Amino acid sequence: MASLNLSVASLVPSHHNLTYHLIVILVAAVAAFLPRYFPMRFFTNRKIPEWFNEWMKYVPVSLFTALVVKALFVDSKYQLFFDHVSAFGSSLTIFGHASYLIAAVFVAIVAYFTRSMLSSVLVGLLAVWLLTFVL
Amino acid sequence: MEQKAHQFNPGNQRWLQVLGISMPLCLSYLPIGVACGILLHAAGMNFVLTFLISILVFSGGAQFILASLLVSDAPISSIFMTLFFLELRYALLGSSLSKYFRSSTQGFVLLFSASMNDENYAVNYLKFATDKKWTPRDALLVEHYSLISWAGGNLLGGLIGSAVTIDLEIVDFALTALFIYMIVMQMRSHLSLIICLTSAVLALFFLTLTKSTLGLIIATLIASLIGFAIENWARKHSKDPWVLKKLFRPAITRHTVEDRQLINEQAKQEQEAAAAEAAPLSQEDEEK
Repeated sequence: MASLNLSVASLVPSHHNLTYHLIVILVAAVAAFLPRYFPMRFFTNRKIPEWFNEWMKYVPVSLFTALVVKALFVDSKYQLFFDHVSAFGSSLTIFGHASYLIAAVFVAIVAYFTRSMLSSVLVGLLAVWLLTFVL
Repeated sequence: MEQKAHQFNPGNQRWLQVLGISMPLCLSYLPIGVACGILLHAAGMNFVLTFLISILVFSGGAQFILASLLVSDAPISSIFMTLFFLELRYALLGSSLSKYFRSSTQGFVLLFSASMNDENYAVNYLKFATDKKWTPRDALLVEHYSLISWAGGNLLGGLIGSAVTIDLEIVDFALTALFIYMIVMQMRSHLSLIICLTSAVLALFFLTLTKSTLGLIIATLIASLIGFAIENWARKHSKDPWVLKKLFRPAITRHTVEDRQLINEQAKQEQEAAAAEAAPLSQEDEEK
């Protein structure tokens, strides 16, 4: 228990205090509010231009992919990540986090067939947890 | 079914009816809210801050990202840009709902947009499109019910965060799993697959080039613009372009909200075309 709490505490950078967190919350609130309010306010008495709609349609999928790629293939120093795996008696070098990659495939399959957010995430977490014993 | 509903809601009160409609949403927000609270607690925030942020930001994706940005000690400017571009999708959601708020006051639109979210948007959009009696006031009520359950979940997560010991490497993957789920839900045509791959390559390139989360933003903007350009080009050069064809989906899930909307629009257009054909003479008379 104590050791785990220590490992959690060490993750928080030392200069993060209450003031810093309040500034972060304020910044996050502004970043969340601007794109929600102004387009809606603007378009309650105007017609939405077609090109804007068409462009915005592809923003989420691009952003989510970029975020997943960052988590799977890039390390915290923004370098390409290579995982060294020893399984079945041989050692392999794999591009990306090996356990995350395998779990990601499971998540995609579950999401595709069930369309349930909760079960997709739970299957992903379960897969990563089980893979820590294998890899 | 209706009799049962009557037992729970004898006065046929509107707020209770709306609560019934938003209940599935509220129930699914609770566990994710708790997970988010635990993650933010691990990133150094106490439960009061977690509660505050869940009300002010009210976005699962943004709060999960914020936790990982705090842990990796990203600069504030980078936090702002990442969240801003993540939340930019609400520009689309807000503008698509705006036509139902023509008669609302400015203050009401402000209040409504402040607590809009992917999931309560989905509920409200469906209700506005299918239920003629659905009012902006009901829509706001749905948002506030979901906000209560989300903030409650976050508060609970922030409180038990110190008591629960979690393996952060595993929990960190929750975020990635959530995004993979969202990508799969967004996969509608061959084009979305192409954009996905483009964005992946661009993200690898720009992340290693810029050494910051700015790479995510550049990759997103370029990939979405490429998608926009391809769609424009394909529509000009072909009547039924391959890139816009639907990807295969399991039978039960073949029609999404967007699909149904498209089908309705097509039916409406056909009706209008038929009406125009039926009365070509009277129209010509009017033009003269």
